[in-house]
Amino acid sequence: MINLRDKGAQFWERSNRPVRVLTVFAIVAVVAALPYAGNTFLQTPVAAFDAVLVYPMGMFILMALGLNVVVGKSGMLDLGYVAFFAVGAYTMAILGTRTGLNTWEIMPIGIAAAMFAGVLLAIPTLRLRGDYLAIVTLGFGEIVRVSALNSEAIGGALGIAGVPFPPGLGFEYQLLDQKYFYWTIVVMILLVIWVIRRLTVRRPGRAWESIRQDEDAAELMGVSTYKYKIWAFVFGAAIGGGAGVFYASRSMVIAPDNFTLNTSILILACVVFGGMGNIWGVIVGAAILGYLPDRFRFLSDARLLLFGLVLVVFMNLRPEGILPRKKREKAIVKKGSGA
Amino acid sequence: MAKTILNLKNLTIKFGGVTALNSVNLELKEGEILALIGPNGAGKTTVFNLITGVYKPTSGNVFLGDVAIDGKKRHHITKLGIARTFQNIRLFGDMTTLENVITGTDVRNKVGLIGSILGTPRSRREEKASIAKAHEILKFIGIDEYADRLAKNLPYGVQRRLEIARALGTEPKILLLDEPAAGFNPQEKVELAAIIKKIRDAGYTILLIEHDMSLIMGISDRVVVLDFGQKIADDLPSVVQNDPQVIAAYLGVPEDAS
Ligand SMILES: Nc1ncnc2c1ncn2[C@@H]1O[C@H](COP(=O)(O)OP(=O)(O)OP(=O)(O)O)[C@@H](O)[C@H]1O
Ligand SMILES: [Mg+2]
Repeated sequence: MINLRDKGAQFWERSNRPVRVLTVFAIVAVVAALPYAGNTFLQTPVAAFDAVLVYPMGMFILMALGLNVVVGKSGMLDLGYVAFFAVGAYTMAILGTRTGLNTWEIMPIGIAAAMFAGVLLAIPTLRLRGDYLAIVTLGFGEIVRVSALNSEAIGGALGIAGVPFPPGLGFEYQLLDQKYFYWTIVVMILLVIWVIRRLTVRRPGRAWESIRQDEDAAELMGVSTYKYKIWAFVFGAAIGGGAGVFYASRSMVIAPDNFTLNTSILILACVVFGGMGNIWGVIVGAAILGYLPDRFRFLSDARLLLFGLVLVVFMNLRPEGILPRKKREKAIVKKGSGA
Repeated sequence: MAKTILNLKNLTIKFGGVTALNSVNLELKEGEILALIGPNGAGKTTVFNLITGVYKPTSGNVFLGDVAIDGKKRHHITKLGIARTFQNIRLFGDMTTLENVITGTDVRNKVGLIGSILGTPRSRREEKASIAKAHEILKFIGIDEYADRLAKNLPYGVQRRLEIARALGTEPKILLLDEPAAGFNPQEKVELAAIIKKIRDAGYTILLIEHDMSLIMGISDRVVVLDFGQKIADDLPSVVQNDPQVIAAYLGVPEDAS
């Protein structure tokens, strides 16, 4: 099978700066133009294509990028990632309906709340490994959802309605034409990519990578594994929280049902499907897995079943995902500096 | 006499009913190469595991200088200046050779997550210095040509040497080598001996576990022999070599018959 990952990497390596800048611009331009592709074969039958671009696609990408830091980079299986999304969303919904704060003001608060939840979860559980960690995180995800379900103060099963849209920034966010929501999400994704790439080629990225590969050896080489595992969780939580704030502000209504274990698993599937540890793979994986169910809704109830089947077949053909983790022999440290 | 930098006092460790080490005393002098030998299962690797904090002693202490380090966190012990290699190679296989060493150097770096994201001057300075240092170490060990290769794809001998390079990356005072020549042919052993000597001459103190007698005789200043968790000899190589108790331990002669 052709190795897209290496082809892409090779191209990048051989290109000089102007070519790279142009490539990035071209890709961003194509991505930004997607809302105008609604009348093509891409059109989704039920939901409008521009809405699908925002949710599930954009949201899935954002969350998959966050979860990838935890699962793909640091090797910790987190089955309760949706909890952070929920914390962000509820922060937005509560503050947005009860205070005068707007989405952009709530964003840092929601992110901080999710990070705090991340610390709460991480401190007692990160001494566990593998399956135990997976089970505890799964439990955490459910606890957050069930707590919301049983708290009448935040709407119980009905959730919270009337969450305000973000205030426009020289334009107005609209329900029927979601391109502004979409572009905002693209900006958020670009920002997250930029941050993750910085971390990957520097000390925290190496620490995470070493923990994933051999936690004991990492610790003995001086990596404070506990600290970096907490950071991985908290960083992933921040992204989930940010996504949640935006989601609530766009959806206007949120309820505990939006934050089930299913979502956690689906995001994990995006990471695995795309290629654990490789951000481009994860993005492609999340985009595809977010898009397909909406595109092929005519399959109705069998949708998830077929979807699962495709995944199983695919993962057998290509177990490391669409764009696997680097195989190529090139340092993740910046080229040219040093040697 | 050089001063003692690592001092094991009455170290005992039991695993369930098995006493893997029984009241072992061992002093490592600054700047020496001390060989730790003994038959399979004698407790050599266990000594390393106790020094590096992998295990806590059942009783006894490990002193680095005047500081008791048993009970300290493992990464903290590394930071205090002790680094090791593994008997079974445990490199970060999906990282390049260079990255493996840089991961070692990171223990001396200060930049954290925020600094890395922002790309502060310090973060860039440290990053650059780490890369340069890692290359320097790889050259010193003689494997810089492999810098950009993934560790898992390296030839066996290079992997063994990379283990040493990664440990040196942490800037230790004391280097613990667990059978670094395992699986080497005679030629490779000679080369390795030269490297170990070179490391010592660069100012490191080395505690070396090894089975190959000629290698040990060639480079060590002193030899400690363990047998069934007991120290049975601690002397110059030439003396130890002719010690009847040591010979008995190696030949498996029952105590009463020797
Ligand atoms: N974690 C553990 N649990 C139980 N027993 C252990 C443990 N670690 C070591 N031992 C036992 O302690 C004894 C010493 O083991 P150790 O690995 O230190 O031997 P060694 O001298 O390094 O041998 P070799 O030359 O084969 O590497 C062995 O009997 C071993 O089974
Ligand atoms: Mg051993």
